[in-house]
Amino acid sequence: MTPDRVLGKAQQDEQAEVHSELLSGAVEPAANSVSGSSSSRDSIKGRALKLAKHYGIVIAFILLCILVGIACQYRVMKGEWSENVFITSDNFMLILYQISINGILAIGMTFVVISGGIDLSVGSVLAFAGMLAASFATSLTSVTPWSGTYALAVPILFALLGGVACGALNGWIVSRFRIQPFIATLGMLLAARGATMALTGGNPISSLNPHLRWFGTGKLGSIPLPIVMFVVVFAMAWIILNKTVFGRYVYAVGGNERSARTSGIKSNQIKIWVYAISGLLAGVAGIILTAKTGSGQTSAGSSYELDAIAAAVIGGTSLSGGVGKLSGTLFGALIMGVMNNGLDILGVESYYQLIIKGALILTAVIIDPSRKAADA
Amino acid sequence: MKMLLLFLCASGIVLLSCLDLPASPAPKKVKIAVLMYGNKAEFVQLMQRYGKQHPAVTGGLAELTFYDGRYDAAVQNDQAQLAINLKYDAIIVNPLDFEANVDVVTKARTAHIPVIVTNARLDTQEMTSAVDSDDVLGGYMEAKNVLQKLGCKGNVVIIEGPKGGSGEIQRGQGNEKAISECPAGAVRILERKPANWSRSEAMDLMQNWLQKDRGKINGVIGQNDEMALGAIEAIKSAGLNVHDFSIAGIDGVSDALNAVKRGEMTSILQDAKAQMQASIDIAMRAVLGTGYKPMSPIWQQYEKDTKWNDGQSKHYIIPWTIVTPRNADELLESRK
Repeated sequence: MTPDRVLGKAQQDEQAEVHSELLSGAVEPAANSVSGSSSSRDSIKGRALKLAKHYGIVIAFILLCILVGIACQYRVMKGEWSENVFITSDNFMLILYQISINGILAIGMTFVVISGGIDLSVGSVLAFAGMLAASFATSLTSVTPWSGTYALAVPILFALLGGVACGALNGWIVSRFRIQPFIATLGMLLAARGATMALTGGNPISSLNPHLRWFGTGKLGSIPLPIVMFVVVFAMAWIILNKTVFGRYVYAVGGNERSARTSGIKSNQIKIWVYAISGLLAGVAGIILTAKTGSGQTSAGSSYELDAIAAAVIGGTSLSGGVGKLSGTLFGALIMGVMNNGLDILGVESYYQLIIKGALILTAVIIDPSRKAADA
Repeated sequence: MKMLLLFLCASGIVLLSCLDLPASPAPKKVKIAVLMYGNKAEFVQLMQRYGKQHPAVTGGLAELTFYDGRYDAAVQNDQAQLAINLKYDAIIVNPLDFEANVDVVTKARTAHIPVIVTNARLDTQEMTSAVDSDDVLGGYMEAKNVLQKLGCKGNVVIIEGPKGGSGEIQRGQGNEKAISECPAGAVRILERKPANWSRSEAMDLMQNWLQKDRGKINGVIGQNDEMALGAIEAIKSAGLNVHDFSIAGIDGVSDALNAVKRGEMTSILQDAKAQMQASIDIAMRAVLGTGYKPMSPIWQQYEKDTKWNDGQSKHYIIPWTIVTPRNADELLESRK
C-alpha cells in the first residue's frame, strides 16, 4: 500500500499544497493576499517581494557578475588591462569547471539538508573514493596489495560503491540509532579520512591511467568533462527531487518527520537513500578531483563539506529542513565560483576573500525570504 | 544495548592496542616518541618511513612511536605530556607552529628528557638539538633556478604556503632575495597568493591567473612541489605548453621527481631521510652517552656540510639538493 492511499483525501490535498508551496519557495504572507484592496504601492511592494523570493538568488548572481565585470572594466579603462578578461566565454567555462566538484557535492548536500539532516563527511568520503579509484588505475603496483591498472570500469565502480557505502552507513546510523546527523557524519568525517590514509599507509597514489585522468582533463566537444558530469548529475537530481514520489517524500520528511511517518512514509528508508545519494555524489566528485590533479591524495577534499553547505545555504536551502531548491544550490555554487575567480583575477588579497565569502553566506541567510516565511 | 556496544568498542580498542605491544619487552631498547605535526603530507610519511629504516631501529636498539599531531599545536603539546608520562627516553618533534609548540621543549626539559626538533623550527634554544634545512636558502635556490632559465627577465608568479606560517615567510624571503639579485625592474612579480600547500587549490589559482595574464606569465615559483604540480596541471588544462614556462617547487615529493624527469619543473629536495635519521642518531647519543657512534649513512653522505660533532651541536643544517633527471631515478628507486 502506498502512503498516498493511506492519506485521507483532504489531508492529501493539504499536503500537496504544502509541497507545491515549498517547491516554489513562495509561501505568501497572508497580508499580501488581501493587499489588492489596499493601496497600489503595497501591491508593487508585494510583487517586488514575490520577484525577490523567486529570483533573488539569480538577481544576486547577476549583480555579482556585473560588479566584478565593472571592476574589471575599470582596469581596462585605466589602461592596466588590454581587455576585460572576466567577461569572456572562456572564463565562464573556467568558472563552471572550477565549481563542478563543489557543485556536485552541494547537490548531494541539498538532498540531505532538505531531508532535515546535514552531511559533514562528504570531503572525507570524496578523498576515500578518489583514493580507491586511484588504487585501481595506477602503474605503481606496490602502494596497496591490489593496486595496478584495471579496466576503467573497475576504479569507477569501486569509487562509486565506496561513496554509496559510506553514505548509506551515515543514513543507517542516523535513522537506526536516532543520532543527530551532525554527530553521525562527524564520525564518518574522521573515519573516512582515516580509512583513506590506511588504504595506502598515508602515501599518495600517482602515475594514473590516462583513461581515468580523462574524467578530469578530457573534453566532450569543447566542454570539459567535469562540467558535462556536473550538468548530468544536476539534471538527474532535479528530476528525482522534483518529479518523483521519492523527491516529495524527502521534502515531507524534512518538513515534519512525525507527520510524514504518520502518513505512512518510511522516513528511515528515505533518510538512508538521501545519505547514500550524498555519498554517491561524493564518489563522483572524488573521481573528478583525482582525475583533475592526477593523484590520489590523503588530504584531498579537506573542508569541502563547508563549501558544499555554503553553496546550499546561499541557494536558499534551510538548515531546519523541508525547504530548498536545486536551482538555488546551482546558483549558490556559481556565486562562490564567480567570487573565487573574480577576486583572483582582480588580485584581491586572500584574507579579504575569506571575509567577503563569510559576509556573503550570512547575508544570504539573513535576506532569505523562505526563512522569514517559515518563521511567520 | 548501548552499554553492550560501548563495552564491545572499548574492549576492541584495548585488544587492538595490545597487538602493537611487543610480546616480551627486549632489555634496554631506547624508546623514542616522534611527534609529527600531522600525517596527511607525503613528506611526513617519508620521514616516518625513513625513521623506521634507521639502522638502530631495524637492529632493535631503538623503538619509535609516532604520534599524529592532527595539524593542531595544542594536540601536539598534549602528546608531549603523554610521552613524558609514558617515560619515553627521548622525544623528536616536528612542530606545527614556531611559537605555540615551544611548550613541547619546555615540558621535556623540565622532565629531563632529551628533545630534538626536526624539519621545522621552534622559537627556543632549550632543545637538545635542532635538525632542519634552511628555508630561506631553499626559497632562494628554487627562485634562482626559475630565474636562471628566464635569463633574469620576465614575469613570475609566486604560489605561497599558508600566510604567516614559517614556511611561507622564510621561503618567501628566499624568493625575494633571488629576484632582487636580478637587474632592477627586469623581473616582475605579477601575482602572489597562497594556495595552502595544496595541489587542487594551486590549480584553481593558476587557472584564474592564466585567464587574466594569458601569455604574460613566464615563471612559476611554487613554495612547495604540490603547488608547482597544481600550476602544471592548470597550464596543461589551459591548452598551453608546460615547457614554455620555468617552474620550480620545494620538497622533492614523488610526483615532482617524475615531473623533473619529464623536464616540466625543477624541484629542490628537502632530505626527509637525513632530517629524520640524523635526529634519531642525536637522540640515541643523548640517551646512551659518549660511547654511541652514529649509525645512519647520511653522516657520510653529507660529510662536508653537516658534521656529526659527537651529537653535541645545537643546530644541524641538512643541505638542499637540486633534483636532476639523473638523481630523480635514484631517489624514486629508494622510495619503492
